[in-house]
Amino acid sequence: MTSNAVEIENVTLHFPKQRNALKMLMNLVQRKKERFTALRNVSFTAKKGEVLGIIGKNGSGKSTLLRIISGIYPADEGTCKAAGSISLLAGLGTGFSGHQTGRENAILYGSILGHGEQVMIEKLPEIIEFSELESFIDEPVRTYSSGMKARLGLAVASAIHPDILLIDEVLGVGDPQFKEKSKKRILDLVKSTGTVIIVSHSFGLMKDICDRLVLIHKGKIVGVGEPDTIIKLYYETTD
Amino acid sequence: MPAEKVSLMLKHVGCGNSSWKSPFLNLSIVFKHRFLVRNLVRREIRGRYRNAMLGYTWTVLEPMLLASVYYFLFVMLAGNPDRMYPVWVLLGVIVWGCFGRSLTGSVSSLSRNAQTIHLVYFPRIIFPFTSIMGNIVISMMSCLVVIPIIIFYDLPLTIYLLYIPLSILLAGFLGIGLGMFVAPLNCMHRDVEHLFRFIVRAGFFLSPVMWTYEMAQARGSIGEMVLYNPMVVPLTMARHGVAGESLGIPWAGILGSIGFGIVMWILGSYVFNRYEAGAVKHL
Repeated sequence: MTSNAVEIENVTLHFPKQRNALKMLMNLVQRKKERFTALRNVSFTAKKGEVLGIIGKNGSGKSTLLRIISGIYPADEGTCKAAGSISLLAGLGTGFSGHQTGRENAILYGSILGHGEQVMIEKLPEIIEFSELESFIDEPVRTYSSGMKARLGLAVASAIHPDILLIDEVLGVGDPQFKEKSKKRILDLVKSTGTVIIVSHSFGLMKDICDRLVLIHKGKIVGVGEPDTIIKLYYETTD
Repeated sequence: MPAEKVSLMLKHVGCGNSSWKSPFLNLSIVFKHRFLVRNLVRREIRGRYRNAMLGYTWTVLEPMLLASVYYFLFVMLAGNPDRMYPVWVLLGVIVWGCFGRSLTGSVSSLSRNAQTIHLVYFPRIIFPFTSIMGNIVISMMSCLVVIPIIIFYDLPLTIYLLYIPLSILLAGFLGIGLGMFVAPLNCMHRDVEHLFRFIVRAGFFLSPVMWTYEMAQARGSIGEMVLYNPMVVPLTMARHGVAGESLGIPWAGILGSIGFGIVMWILGSYVFNRYEAGAVKHL
């Protein structure tokens, strides 16, 4: 038994390019495949109990990497292994259905994230309280502001305790007060969860909470190591 | 809590997990995730009648309006149908509607849920499954129209009334197999969706919706050929259920229809599980 929670080895992922019928036929005849390589030979491990940060420019493949770990995309080459239950926090509240109430959406979103019925019944009061929606919780979600939706999403998503937590830029929703509150909640979650892999652009935060950082650039890993070194490397690489 | 996690490395689910077991595996997956399925079905049903003053009344109203149009069309073309004909058309519209929406719904189940797919991983068989479950529930609600019909036509209450829910289930089941078969392809090319919408529309006339199995039989050799269409069985089933009589279709026809559904479920499960993982990259 190893002490690694996530092991990624030589993962390559291509995205197909959408083409019209004529182009496709041409490619078929010429036997060439048009694709975009989002990740190329990516390897890294996350140890158990570690908080690992992933940084990189927009479009460098950070989110794609998290999606591979959470099982949304299968790797074209290489292997990705994980020990234990995984949960990805990303795009909070995007799956809400506007014509159902906040309460119904909380249950729906919770079940989408993999909670059982019992867990949701237990957690619901806490979720509603954290979301600060009060009487709005029984109104249809289409009447919510974007901040309210995000609050509800965060409240549901952060009520879970997986073995491995993947966070994709979900900090910083709502007004300053709620931002503080949500940051604290996520940090608590990070502390109580065994292994965390976090993607964020706020280097200050990353420096504070991450044990190690991974720098990814154009689908390749450029460096892994101490936060300070890697952040310095980021500015050197991406300029 | 994380603590005593002794489990070794687990390989990821989601890719290349297709085998001869898939058709059975899919059933157990759906059962395991029944809480999620229930919530998604609820979203699907609520979504259809959102902001509608008449709400669920539309489940009955829509087939009735459609049937009345077809009734007038029939009277104009053929004239003088028997007194039960409006009922046959109404039931035809309900059962065919269940099949058609199940088919198009499961074909587009992955592409419609792109947002959720990008957000979280759970077995994707749940998407086409919730789609047909939603349609089956709605069609069952439509079937409540049978109650006033029975009173109005003074029909006997028999055990054969059970044919009605059975026909809805069979229609949905016939839809999902084929739908799963092409759902991954629809992620790559939405043409599939358009093609199947056409197939449903064309199939409407080729299946006994505006006509009945008995009418076809009265025309001699066509009556036998009609049985090659698996939808003849559920459509006729619903009608005979209301009339309170046995099915009157040769066993070969009944087994053929159910067999077609099972074969498509097996093929569809296999293809779906094999290709969905790669297909979602196109979304």
